[in-house]
Amino acid sequence: MNRNYIFLTLLMLVLAAGTWLLKKPSEFKQIKPNDLLWEMIQPTRYVTTDQVAKMIIQKDPSLELIDVRSANEYNEFTLPNAIHIALDSILNSANTMYFGIKGMNVVFISNDDIKSDQAWVISKRLGYKSMYVMKGGLNRWYETILDPQQPPETAPKTDFEMYAFRKGAQLYFTGAQVETTSTQKKDKLTIQRKRKASVASGGC
Amino acid sequence: MGPLIPNGFIPGDWNFVIALLLGIAFGFILEASGFSSSRNIVGVFYGYNFVVLRVFFTAVIVAMVGLIYFDYFGWLDLSQIFILPTYLAPMITGGVIMGLGFILGGFCPGTSFTAIAIGKMDGLVFTIGLYLGIFAFSLGYPLYSDFYNSGDMGNVTLMDVTGISSQWFAFGFVVIALSAFWVTMLIEKRVRKRITEYKF
Repeated sequence: MNRNYIFLTLLMLVLAAGTWLLKKPSEFKQIKPNDLLWEMIQPTRYVTTDQVAKMIIQKDPSLELIDVRSANEYNEFTLPNAIHIALDSILNSANTMYFGIKGMNVVFISNDDIKSDQAWVISKRLGYKSMYVMKGGLNRWYETILDPQQPPETAPKTDFEMYAFRKGAQLYFTGAQVETTSTQKKDKLTIQRKRKASVASGGC
Repeated sequence: MGPLIPNGFIPGDWNFVIALLLGIAFGFILEASGFSSSRNIVGVFYGYNFVVLRVFFTAVIVAMVGLIYFDYFGWLDLSQIFILPTYLAPMITGGVIMGLGFILGGFCPGTSFTAIAIGKMDGLVFTIGLYLGIFAFSLGYPLYSDFYNSGDMGNVTLMDVTGISSQWFAFGFVVIALSAFWVTMLIEKRVRKRITEYKF
């Protein structure tokens, strides 16, 4: 028997048996259900539209907005610098690489917070940290940032401060004109000059 | 990293150039393995020459085990590889028809071209028959299109169907292939002893 054949046979067997040792770490490691439930009931997993607006205005480099709506909706309107990842393709490896980047806070946005909540649960199950949901989604964004309503006069001071911030944010995001108070007619300055005293009018 | 073209490492325009180069390499290997001789090829069915079985099994087990390693090292993402959809009954029928043609003609489509490349007349005749067959099949397609497209199982792999892991499957296949190499070597020796009119 040819020695080469014996050697090649053994080599092939060893290589084939070696594949057993190549245990790929399971691609989707999940956190424990109890941990997921605990995370789910934490109110801190939500961020308000005001917080998001503030971060965008301040150009916070840790903010990572992810729009989970459909591509059409995303193209029509979204927040500045938001990345589009449709909810049904969130588990693609090309998309999951956006999660869990050190120092980044991922905020999911959708029209309300149903889709973004689902995206949050999926990503949280995979064990990613620093994931948030924008409370109320883009509808709430419209109500609070793009079209803020003046609080009633009896509202506490903080409401007015918030309103002031929202008006400022509205200017930032929409480029709306500053509402100026009605200009009052200013009184014309009239200069009354003293008549020169004529010689004839008297004197000593 | 891989596959290289879908992942943008090589522009898609190179598809045909790469296909041509691979085709040339494939033809070269076929010819170098002796596949351009119909005697070598049909030897499998008569038991005096198992080179076809050995070459193809070698290619299969090397590729099989190699791909598992490539996938592990991240050089090739197996989930992105195109898997031919399975139509079980039509494929078995097609395989039987092709096997019959294989024994009758002494070539399979690829090897008939390598036979032409080295100037074999039987290869040329086989290829003319091949094109006639393709023409007849295309003309008669409406008659059996229903059967042709029946039983679509989708892009399934044996691992999906049987539930056996790819590692176990590869190992099992390697064992079968290697045993086949040794067993056929013995068969060859015995059969060749009896053949007197054809010298090896």
